[in-house]
Amino acid sequence: MAEKTFIVRIKRQQRPDEPARWEEFELRHRPHMNVITCLRDIAERPTTRDGRELTPVSYEANCLEEVCGACAMIINGQPRQACSALVDNLEKPIRIEPLTKFPLVRDLVVDRSKMFQDLKRTKAWIPIDGSYDLGPGPRMSPATQEAGYPLSRCITCGNCLEICPKVNEDTQFVGAAIVSQVRLFNMHPTGAMHAAERLDALMGPGGIADCDNAQNCVKVCPKNIPLTESLADVNGQVLRHAIKTWFHGRD
Amino acid sequence: MRSAAADSRTSFLLDKLHSLSGVIPIGAYLAEHFFENSYALVSPAKYNYVASKLETVPWRLPLEILLIWAPIAFHACYGLRIWWSGKQNATSHPWMANWMYLLQRWTGVLAFLFIGYHVWTVRFLSHGKTTYADIAQTMADARFAALYAVGVLAASFHLGNGLWNFACKWGLAVTARSQRAAGWFGALTAIAFSVAGLAILAGFRFHWTPFDSYLP
Repeated sequence: MAEKTFIVRIKRQQRPDEPARWEEFELRHRPHMNVITCLRDIAERPTTRDGRELTPVSYEANCLEEVCGACAMIINGQPRQACSALVDNLEKPIRIEPLTKFPLVRDLVVDRSKMFQDLKRTKAWIPIDGSYDLGPGPRMSPATQEAGYPLSRCITCGNCLEICPKVNEDTQFVGAAIVSQVRLFNMHPTGAMHAAERLDALMGPGGIADCDNAQNCVKVCPKNIPLTESLADVNGQVLRHAIKTWFHGRD
Repeated sequence: MRSAAADSRTSFLLDKLHSLSGVIPIGAYLAEHFFENSYALVSPAKYNYVASKLETVPWRLPLEILLIWAPIAFHACYGLRIWWSGKQNATSHPWMANWMYLLQRWTGVLAFLFIGYHVWTVRFLSHGKTTYADIAQTMADARFAALYAVGVLAASFHLGNGLWNFACKWGLAVTARSQRAAGWFGALTAIAFSVAGLAILAGFRFHWTPFDSYLP
């Protein structure tokens, strides 16, 4: 019986300023393979179908269980995590491309530091450090914990930015992931003390007003975060904050 | 620092005004406009009576400018800016809301071009006086009837889908369930406006007066 094989096409680029090219690899099929195991097999024997021996494909991966966000790439046209993309469920030949909304580093590696910058810009954390003991924080109701948990599952993979029509070189839109994190930290009783600063940041350029409700983000979120609910909720929060500060001034 | 803050407020304020202006006054005016034109379905005489009444409202020009033309001009200009700032991908990712996003842009431009033509001919070339016979004459030509039908359908879709967008963008519909409900409300609005608008066009084209039994 002939060995079962399948084809993987990868869009590769040596350097950001070099043209991209597609390369085809033929891999031996084994049960339970995912896209990361494909990339590992290629690294083991980086020879294309037409017999050219190349450098292994560069890619990022870490946890291999869809909780770190590192291996986001475009697989058969959809942004998703390579670790949870099972070969048996994918149409062949499998097409793999790097994300397009972030600066390319090499092959499938992109620089997603925009998301980290935007988390900083929107103060998406809870400040608990002081020069003296701040004591225990306020209690958090079980209802708030339950509402916050799905939002806390964000892995900053960037799929929601990749699929968004409004995240592009002409806008500075922070994207659904960051807006959802603002909602999470505004929900937290300690985080709420800095809600105004986060809402101010989202009122600015690249903020919530850039969302035009194409609602693609929620379709590609690997963690099933209710991103469209977060966007609508934060829209309301920013609007109420704007009206309050314009008419009543700051507290 | 201060000027940057002012800039950021401006873009947020303009965006909110854009979605608000689509509902009030533009959406409200569209409802009023379809309602008044429905008098064509009662009788030509009734239509002419209502039209002459509207043509002689006090403060007509300033009201037209403030409540109709300026909001439409602002909504259209800012809408084009929104279109240019987005890179649509509905053809490769054909989800329902993504198609709605693309259609909202196309219907907006179609409706705006039609409104431009409509205002130019019916408001300006006619010197602000239009009778049933004038419109019926235009509608007698199938090409113009089709043009009006495109305008009615584009404006109706744009308003219905825009109401759904408004509910999301103003944080009125937050949960997935309430956003779906807002979507249905928008869809029903679009259907109601389409039916009413097409009925009015049919009334002018075929001298069809289904409500003439209301007359004494």
